[in-house]
Amino acid sequence: MAWINPYEVLSTRQARWYGVGAVVAVLVIWSAVAAMGLLSENKLPPPWKVAQAMSYLAWDGERGQSLLAVATMWSLFRVITAGLLVIAIGIPIGLAMGVSPRINAMLSPLVDPFRSAPVVAFLPLFVLWFGIGELMKVLFLFVGAVVYLIPMVRDAIVAVPQHYWISARDLGASAVETVRHAVLPMAMPRIFDAIIVATSVLWTYITVAEYVNAREGLGQLIQNARRFSAMDQVFAGIIVIIALALLTYTGLRWVRQRLYSWEVQ
Amino acid sequence: MTAHDQAESRSGAAAAESKIHVELKNVSQIYPTVDASGESSDLVVVKDLSLNFDEPGINMLLGPSGCGKSTVLRMMGGVRPIGVVTPTAGEVFIDQQPCNGAHPDAAMVFQRYSNRPDLTVAENIGFPFRFELWRERVSASERQARVDEIMHAVGLADKASLRPAQLSGGQNQRVALARALVVRPRVLLMDEPFGALDAQTREDMQRLLVSLYDAHPCLIVFVTHDVTEALVLGDRVIVLSTQPATVADDFTITEPRPRTSLWQRSTDATRMEERVLEQLHKVSPGKGQVRVTV
Repeated sequence: MAWINPYEVLSTRQARWYGVGAVVAVLVIWSAVAAMGLLSENKLPPPWKVAQAMSYLAWDGERGQSLLAVATMWSLFRVITAGLLVIAIGIPIGLAMGVSPRINAMLSPLVDPFRSAPVVAFLPLFVLWFGIGELMKVLFLFVGAVVYLIPMVRDAIVAVPQHYWISARDLGASAVETVRHAVLPMAMPRIFDAIIVATSVLWTYITVAEYVNAREGLGQLIQNARRFSAMDQVFAGIIVIIALALLTYTGLRWVRQRLYSWEVQ
Repeated sequence: MTAHDQAESRSGAAAAESKIHVELKNVSQIYPTVDASGESSDLVVVKDLSLNFDEPGINMLLGPSGCGKSTVLRMMGGVRPIGVVTPTAGEVFIDQQPCNGAHPDAAMVFQRYSNRPDLTVAENIGFPFRFELWRERVSASERQARVDEIMHAVGLADKASLRPAQLSGGQNQRVALARALVVRPRVLLMDEPFGALDAQTREDMQRLLVSLYDAHPCLIVFVTHDVTEALVLGDRVIVLSTQPATVADDFTITEPRPRTSLWQRSTDATRMEERVLEQLHKVSPGKGQVRVTV
């Protein structure tokens, strides 16, 4: 049974072929289903229509502009703003919870439940409190991602073996110095993992955030296309978001690899 | 200035200071425990222990594993376990001053070397100089000189820019030892530092410790459950009984170091070994483990 063996090592090339094969298979089935006319084009546009829509969105010759580029810039701007906020506020809070069981006891009932709570359900509240402008969108994205980041940062700190703490304290380091020089550096790879997860969450929530009164953005683009039953454009928009999320993920993984190359074993 | 000259000038400076003295006065350590049936009782780990240590000298605390000797060691200026009051009774004095926690003149070496994997060997050795305490005590130029000196002394000069993952276990323990010595502690507390190393490496490390000690004598208190290690290294061997830890035997060894395997097979040495083993069997029959390397 060549297929069942969890310890089999695939070469990068092999793995790539299996991946490409699966994507091609999906495209073939998709094309076949669409070509057979089992589903109307309104429900399932064939791949070539989606490709057409993509090229139209990428460059609209009549109006001389790229809808996709503008939408992507707006979505990127929101994701980056919210992402910076998540890092600037989430990491210090997670760090504080990780180094102090007292602070953790205070904050964990306020933070932990939201990891499994549907943050989307709070969208109406956000609209009520923060209006329908940029503030609401960025804050919504921020809350959605920060509730994932904080507990992960806390856990990263707690996971650092105690002997690093003890050995630094024994050398005369103050509590703050020990956190700074012995605990935090050891937790950094896992904190970076938390940032990667939070970024993925941001990309998940961007369409939701842009549902409400957006004039620009990928979520709005999808929403708008749906309203005009342009399913090919909906598909194109979704593919772009997936591609962007994948790109960010791969980019951040690469950075992590470079920054924390010492983390072997 | 060569490393040797520095050593000269340092031992001169050390002689000017008064010799450090560590005193354990009737110390006890009791942990409250609750057994399966919910009965609470007190686990007496150390009971009414009194010991005095003078600089210089290598003092071996020998006892079966889990006998409370590490607890005793930590009382002598080492960092205390988190959330534990130690000792629960009695007092510890370093230079006549009561000592209730990590002492700036004491440094510990643990079995786990706690080297930071993201720092190089040189950075790991100079690690204490990232802390306020040592930045104030040691000038910037001297810090670098000390790191270089100790790196040579422990034989890692050619490994300065390597990371811990590129080193063997013995080399990592050398880094940990160097990191403790770079602050020039007057009390060096060693908590089974070579316990996890293979026999060959352990012997190398013992030889290294002896040569480092000969260059800069200080007060070493060394915890081990290895009878041979105690006899090879110690100026003084203190045999502890197990739970509670009390002094079962306390004797000195005058044989000069390094002590060869020939000496280890001599009548003197074997007699001492038998004496220790006999004591251990008497005070803690069937409890804990000791090791004898052959």
